[in-house]
Amino acid sequence: MFKAISRRNAVHVMLVYAGGCNGCDIEVVNCVLSPYYDIEQYKVMLTWNPREADILLVTGPVLKRIEPALKKIYDAIPDPKLVAAVGSCAINGNVFSNLGGDLGPSEEIAGPLDKVLPVAAKIPGCPPRPEDIISAAASAIPILAEMEV
Amino acid sequence: MEKDRGEADVEIPVGLVHPALLEPYRPRFFLQDEVVTDCEITLDAQHRGIERMMEGIPVDKCNIITERICGICSCVHLWNSVRVVEKGLNITIPERAQYMRVIINELERLTSHLIFFGHALEIIGHETLAMRAFIAREPFMILLGELSGNRVHYACPVIGGIRPRCNPTDDMCKKALAQLGPAADYVKDYADRILQDAMIMSRIEGVGVLTKEEAIKYHVVGPTARSSGVAKDWRTDIPDYKHFDWDVIVLDDGDVKTRVVQRVLETFEIIKILKQGFENIPAGEVRTKDWKLGTMPITTCYHEAPRGELYDSYGLDEKGNVRHYKNRTPTLTNLGAMEVACLGEHLTDAVLTVASCDPCLCCTNR
Repeated sequence: MFKAISRRNAVHVMLVYAGGCNGCDIEVVNCVLSPYYDIEQYKVMLTWNPREADILLVTGPVLKRIEPALKKIYDAIPDPKLVAAVGSCAINGNVFSNLGGDLGPSEEIAGPLDKVLPVAAKIPGCPPRPEDIISAAASAIPILAEMEV
Repeated sequence: MEKDRGEADVEIPVGLVHPALLEPYRPRFFLQDEVVTDCEITLDAQHRGIERMMEGIPVDKCNIITERICGICSCVHLWNSVRVVEKGLNITIPERAQYMRVIINELERLTSHLIFFGHALEIIGHETLAMRAFIAREPFMILLGELSGNRVHYACPVIGGIRPRCNPTDDMCKKALAQLGPAADYVKDYADRILQDAMIMSRIEGVGVLTKEEAIKYHVVGPTARSSGVAKDWRTDIPDYKHFDWDVIVLDDGDVKTRVVQRVLETFEIIKILKQGFENIPAGEVRTKDWKLGTMPITTCYHEAPRGELYDSYGLDEKGNVRHYKNRTPTLTNLGAMEVACLGEHLTDAVLTVASCDPCLCCTNR
């Protein structure tokens, strides 16, 4: 029970840019964490240190160039941990893996994210609305608190 | 090939993913006793192969992808890509559409500059003012959401005009004008607060100087060039901006302070353009349909993105498919110049100098 209370009171989120267009990243960093929407009121804090993090937010279609770094970051996060895919790119590759001309869609993409990491939450949208990101984070907190580890 | 360490004592590689960099890229600083003697910036982490995806794609789909090159300056990428076809096939667009394109683009430039203030102040370590930049930015994001239906990818220009979704009613224009007043006042107070803060000024004054000669040599573009005394703004060449009364801000000193001040002054010009836009927007059609896609020779267009010169060029084949697409974004040359501007600075100032050209890596790698 103490574990659940302490986990619920300090949830740290780490954001990794995995090669998208920056739209989702800016929405997460500059909007959801800014004083206007203020996700910190739900005791969700942004961190850039994987060893502090509980939730890993990944934006972008996961390029082959970033995949090894992303896996290292995931391994460095202590259990219990959740991964959330933010935006259409992380969920299904968006335009980069679904549109293409004579030479086909982009070949640089290792994703979508669930091929690379186990994904617990998907936040759709291009980019997702700030309200959606907040509600996803808020609904992930009880799951994280109840997890066995 | 990577640079050698040479005479330097220490090499500090930063990245690929690192707390000091918001986007994945990889600067390497070579230090001699805390002073940077050499610097190398590697860009490859966000390469999605967009130019390769474009070969033989129908032009409408091409415009969907060009918008996704960047999430900070998405309107200007789309607009410039649309302008290539309009220039190549001589399509004239209605005046109301021209106004709307300028309004959306300038709102986007404003939010982009406010992100720059936030990030620059975060690097200096002034968290409070950085957060205030994001408070100041939010009313403009909401306005963009109301005008275009999306907060980041507005999808406003289409070939021949603008998307009907972005056509505002008179009430919306009045409401936008009323919202613009208080938001602009907040930005003005905020800018005063930055420029009068002795602590911030002592941190950024005289740091990372880029002279006019160096700026021309490395072909620096956009606000970074205009704060080194190079008077070049592509907006002066674009007919849509002829309806507005505004000035190009050029400053001479070329240090980090000048780059911040230049963007502050440019922000006031943007607010001037926006006020004129919402007041004088003419009535009428927003899209012409009397044109037909067909063979188009390779056409080139330049535009002024929030960070500088944007280049797009492509041709169309007889089916209206894109051929030989090329795109070049401003950060490429700006970051190259910053490799030079940060020499002789302390490591902490070097990071600030690199960030002061407002790098956007997702455009640059595309």
